[in-house]
Amino acid sequence: MKLTENHVTDQNLYLNRRQFVKGMTAAGLLGTPFLAEAFDFTKNKNYQPDLKLTDPEHALHYNNFYELGTSKEDPFRNADRLKTDNWQVVIEGECAKPQTFDMDDLLKIEQEERIYRFRCVEGWSMVVPWIGFPLSKLLKKVEPNSKAKYVEFVSIEDTKNLPGQRFRILDWPYREGLRMDEAMHPLTLMATGIYGEALPNQNGAPIRLVVPWKYGFKSSKSIVKIRLVEKQPLSSWMVATPSEYGFYSNVNPNVSHPRWSQAKERPLGSFFKKKTLMFNGYADEVAGLYKGMDLKKFF
Amino acid sequence: MPIFIKITLFSLVCSLPAWELIWRLFNDDLGANPVEFLEHTTGDWTIYFLLLTLSISPIQKLLRPNWNKWLFSMHLVRRVLGLSAFVYALLHLATYMVFDMGLSLEDTVADIIERPFILIGMLAFLMLIPLAITSTAGWQRRLKQHWRTLHKAVYLITFLGILHYALLVKADLVQPLIYMMLFGILMLFRVKTK
Repeated sequence: MKLTENHVTDQNLYLNRRQFVKGMTAAGLLGTPFLAEAFDFTKNKNYQPDLKLTDPEHALHYNNFYELGTSKEDPFRNADRLKTDNWQVVIEGECAKPQTFDMDDLLKIEQEERIYRFRCVEGWSMVVPWIGFPLSKLLKKVEPNSKAKYVEFVSIEDTKNLPGQRFRILDWPYREGLRMDEAMHPLTLMATGIYGEALPNQNGAPIRLVVPWKYGFKSSKSIVKIRLVEKQPLSSWMVATPSEYGFYSNVNPNVSHPRWSQAKERPLGSFFKKKTLMFNGYADEVAGLYKGMDLKKFF
Repeated sequence: MPIFIKITLFSLVCSLPAWELIWRLFNDDLGANPVEFLEHTTGDWTIYFLLLTLSISPIQKLLRPNWNKWLFSMHLVRRVLGLSAFVYALLHLATYMVFDMGLSLEDTVADIIERPFILIGMLAFLMLIPLAITSTAGWQRRLKQHWRTLHKAVYLITFLGILHYALLVKADLVQPLIYMMLFGILMLFRVKTK
């Protein structure tokens, strides 16, 4: 157990508790099951903006995760219907070394904490400390070839257990996609934790995508497969309502959703709205990816 | 029990969901998205009370209950239910105007133009106003046979209210469809017995 100065002075109680649990486990005072869940992470200094964090009470109980039901409270209520034992992530397609990763392999990649803004297409937003690693680190392991122009993400399909998948609300399994340069962007994160803890089921356990400059639905939950493909994939939302949800779905206060304005957003827990920022406040980092593109056309 | 006490008690029962919201508001118990919670709850109750209002005459036709024995006259029961729907619609609109539009008329007009479901909700509310005003016995007398015609607007209002809800949902239409089905059933009673 390494306990640096940084850890001791850290106000993050979760982290201290985690260290404590690990210590206890090492000393044989607790059973081993904790070991798998207790992962080390460090705060990435470059992603600690001075933003007020959303109350975890809200971020962990107000979720869009249609596999567990369509109301905001359903995912928390039905969380135990998502089975995450022996989770594997298959990476296949246009690459030299297609592989299947166990969660243990993925947790061996250095885990870092980053505070990101998160903006839902419905007009609410939050600020959340994610734990995870850049997707680029994972993709480099399979060595994408020159035909890998896009990345498709496939989420869990479990019609037997997931209450939302008994109905064809969306084209299951949930699918999303990114362009290769978006996927390799340093901001694009594979998250395994939130607020210092392993991801709770309702937030997309055990591993999910987080793309902070795009609307929340682009950040797929509970991912089981990542495909490297040549053609732009169709996402589940593009199949459901092509006129409302495009492939890019970048946060953009100037391009309205066909049924509502995207100029403002309401932070969770707040009564009043605030202005939405271009690319959700990440314009400096990502605007270059879309140079010369008509963002109204490629919504 | 004197009738005005009965009416007051019945109105209080109808207002319970509103009191619950006020309780939650002061106890910071409106959840992660308090405005959405207020809007959805008041919107739901508007539709419930509209459907209850519409179910009075089918109940009369099917069961012929002794209204006066259980409560008070059927017309008064229906009036309290209809006015309750109006009050919840008013709370719904007020929440939207204050927290979504920041009381800006300009923003509201822009929103009505941009979002058809807002326009439909607004139309339904505007149509509800004359019905609320003319709900009294005095107006009923003054308008004579026109009163019945005017108050048939509640059919259209209920339909528009449910449509307003259906157009807002992203993918799961189950709840608005249930409301629409209930509305359809209540309307069938009116067609069949003509």
